[in-house]
Amino acid sequence: MTGDEQAWATPACVDEHCITCGDQGLPLRIVALEGAGLARCRDEAAPSEPDTTVDVQLVGEVAPGDLVLVHAGVALVHLGGVSA
Amino acid sequence: MKYVDEFRDAELGRAVSAEIASTVDASRHYKVMEVCGGHTHSIYKYGVDDLLPPNVELVHGPGCPVCVIPMGRVDDGIAVARRPEVIFTCFGDMLRVPGANGTLLDAKAEGADVRMVYSPLDALRIARENPERVVVFFAIGFETTAPSTALTLRRAKDEGIENFLCLCNHVTIVPPLRALLESPDLQLDGFIGPGHVATVVGARPFEFIPIDYQKPIVISGFEPLDLLQSVQMIMRQLAEGRCEVENQYARVVPYEGNSAALRAMGEVFELRPHFEWRGLGFISQSALRLSDAYRDFDAEARYEVPNVRVADPKACQCGEVLKGVIKPWECKVFGSACTPEHAIGTCMVSPEGACAAYYTYGRFAREREVV
Repeated sequence: MTGDEQAWATPACVDEHCITCGDQGLPLRIVALEGAGLARCRDEAAPSEPDTTVDVQLVGEVAPGDLVLVHAGVALVHLGGVSA
Repeated sequence: MKYVDEFRDAELGRAVSAEIASTVDASRHYKVMEVCGGHTHSIYKYGVDDLLPPNVELVHGPGCPVCVIPMGRVDDGIAVARRPEVIFTCFGDMLRVPGANGTLLDAKAEGADVRMVYSPLDALRIARENPERVVVFFAIGFETTAPSTALTLRRAKDEGIENFLCLCNHVTIVPPLRALLESPDLQLDGFIGPGHVATVVGARPFEFIPIDYQKPIVISGFEPLDLLQSVQMIMRQLAEGRCEVENQYARVVPYEGNSAALRAMGEVFELRPHFEWRGLGFISQSALRLSDAYRDFDAEARYEVPNVRVADPKACQCGEVLKGVIKPWECKVFGSACTPEHAIGTCMVSPEGACAAYYTYGRFAREREVV
C-alpha cells in the first residue's frame, strides 16, 4: 500500500478523540481576534498543527492569550485568561 | 499542560482507586453507565476500568453521535450527495458509516463531490467559494455540536448566502437516557454524565434521573482522574443512600450551561416529533430540525430524500452495544468481520464508538487477562 493509499484508508482521527465528531472539546489558546465574532486559535498540545478559526460569540469577551474550550469550530466555555 | 497533566497523575489515580474499593459494598454488583462516547474512549485508552473493584462494572451508553445514526439517514445523505450540483460536506467519521448501499466514501469514489470538514464554518466557506454549486452540510451530534451548526446557519442567513443547506441529524441526550431507564433490559445503579454536552445544556436537564428514577448522576470530565473521581462520587452517593446530580467537571461546566448557545439553538432549531436511533428505535422529541425561520436552509425541504427505514445487518449487534446490554467483544462479528478498517456497524467506525475504542485499546488488556 502506498503512503497516499494508507492515508486514504486510515480514518484521520483513529487514535484520539475526534474533535469534531464526538462529544469532545479541546482547550485552544486565542492567538488573534479576526472580527465578526471569530478568533484564530492554537492547540498548544499539537504545535505542528495549523491555527484554526473559531467562532467565539458564545463565550462573552475574549482577548488574545485566553484559553477556550472548542468544539466543532465554536468556543463553548471561556476557561480563563492568559495565566490559565 | 494545564487542565491535562494534573488529571493523569498515576499516584493520585491509585489513591482514588483505593477510596472506591473502601466505599463499595463487596457483596453487591454495581452497574454504572458512561453516557458519552468520549468517556468510553478514555476508559479504554487509560485502562480506567482496570482500576475499579471487580464488582463495579462500567456499561457503555449511546453517547457517540456517529454510532446512533440509523442506516436510512446515511442513505438520505448519499442521495443528496449524488446530485450533480451538490458539494456534500460532513465530519470525517461520517464518511465511513455504511448505509444500505455503501458509504459516503463509496459515493465519493463513484464521482459524488463529498468533502470532509472540521466544522460547519468550513462548509460555509466552501459555499462562499463556490457560488455556482449548492453546499450541503450533514449535521450530526448532540447538544455539544448543535450550537456550531446554529451559529453557522445564522451567519449564512446574515450574509444572505443562498447556496448553503443543512441536512440536520442533531439529537438530544435526555430522551434516550429516559428510554434506557425505562428499558427492562438494563438495571443501572448510576450514570457518569456527559461533560461537554453539559457545557451547553448545564446540569439541570439531568435532574430527572434522581427525581424520577432515584439514580445518582455525576457530570464528568474526560481525563482518567476525572472518571475515577466521578465513579467514587457515585459510589459515595449510593453508600450514603443519596441520589442527586453532582458536577465533578465544575472547572468547565456551569450548572446552568451556556445560555447564549441555548438561545442560538432555540432560534435555529425545533424538536422533531420523533427520530430513529440506531439500536433504540424511534424516540419522541429526541432530535432537531430547522425551524420555520431557517426553512430556506433545510436540505430536506429542498430535496426529496428516500426516507426509508433500513434494518441493521443481521450480524451486527450495535443496538445491544449502544444500550449497554452486551459488551463489544460479545458481538458475534467483533474483531473478525467487523474491524475499524472494514466496519459493519457504526460502533466500530467512530473512535468514540465502544467497539472501536475497545478494539484499539481494551482488547489487549483482556487478552492479558485471559492468558
